Amino acid sequence: MKDGRPPRCISCSIFRREIEALQSSGRLDLSVDYLNSMLHMAPARLEARLGEALTEARERQADQDVVLAFGDCCSHMEAFETEPGTRRTEGINCCEIILGREAYRRLRREGAFFLMPEWALSWKKVFIGHLGLLGPCAKEFMQEMHTRLVYLDTGILPVPHATLAEASAFLGLPVEIVPVSLDALLHSLLQATHAARPHARD
Amino acid sequence: MDRNFPQELLETIQKADRAGAQAVIDAWAVGRPFHRVIPELLSPTLETFGRLWASGKDGVSLAEGYVAAKVAEDVLSRVLLDASGDGTPRPSSKGPVLVGNVEDDFHPLGRKMVAAFLRADGWEVHDLGVDVGPAQFVDRAEETGARVIGASAMMFTTAKNVAKLREEIDRRGLGNRVQLAVGGAVFKLRPELVAAFGGDGTAASALEASALFARLARRASEARGEVPA
Repeated sequence: MKDGRPPRCISCSIFRREIEALQSSGRLDLSVDYLNSMLHMAPARLEARLGEALTEARERQADQDVVLAFGDCCSHMEAFETEPGTRRTEGINCCEIILGREAYRRLRREGAFFLMPEWALSWKKVFIGHLGLLGPCAKEFMQEMHTRLVYLDTGILPVPHATLAEASAFLGLPVEIVPVSLDALLHSLLQATHAARPHARD
Repeated sequence: MDRNFPQELLETIQKADRAGAQAVIDAWAVGRPFHRVIPELLSPTLETFGRLWASGKDGVSLAEGYVAAKVAEDVLSRVLLDASGDGTPRPSSKGPVLVGNVEDDFHPLGRKMVAAFLRADGWEVHDLGVDVGPAQFVDRAEETGARVIGASAMMFTTAKNVAKLREEIDRRGLGNRVQLAVGGAVFKLRPELVAAFGGDGTAASALEASALFARLARRASEARGEVPA
């Protein structure tokens, strides 16, 4: 933080509601720009947009620290996060960031396929539109790779029970709803915020 | 008019239609010995599909890649079943190899596709699953006599764990004698990471894994003083 100015944050929109809740409760003081979470399905485009967003942030305020609220979602993410005054939230992906490492690893080892609240509402776009999974192929694929869908209920949006039931029927997997606090996300954001300070003075 | 079976099979794969693929294979098999399905139908189809995949121009979807691997598995299962029942020649083994996702990597699809295509091409594949630590990889390589370990990592964060596997191979004095094939999205997009993290080679797609494993197995055999396969 330079001259008491808080860092700027560029975040995946997957965290938008959760970050807004943290801001309105006074637990997080951070200006945030969001990039569309569907860019996750096109990593090269995400990389380009993230590069543009960082350039824009630097042009607005050359010496302002920047926090990236993203997982390792494109192939050159580490090049962004090692730029002076820039830090990324710790975690492989958004699910690890919001769950914390241990809970994430345990659920993944159990075969969980995670649905974050924003993506749960767009599941058809992801599975059919982007991945091309249709008909019996969708069930075969998901049942071979996973044991269940795990909806991460961050408590901001109402749980979309009908949507989850539809996804469950289409993908052939049961749904588990796991309540998740915002503590791990907040911790990750604050950690990145503080880490960016000494980094900027290097 | 003669049917173009490889083209028909390719089209079913591109529609992610596993049942349709099976119907094409069944139609091809009428009046033909089934053990010829791999060289005469599956391989030419997958070679074309592999070229589309590697070029990246035709937008091979996750579903298409998955169905291609399942078709290869289906064909291999049937060839092996026929061989066990009626004395049809069983495909010879090219030797044991390992595949697994490195520590912290939980993306199984690429690894499973590589395993399917390797098996279809005659390798004895030991699939260690996801989140495999370096010691576990090397222990199994020593147990099975595998000359090649195939390590999969999707992201840069997890690809760094390939370097730990390299260290473990070298620490046990197995460098060159056990070759390390690496794969996954990040290696395709950043091929310089293959050498940076200690890999001995990579392939542009799962379909090209068998050729890579053959090259690396030959290198390992030479390092062991064995006659190359």
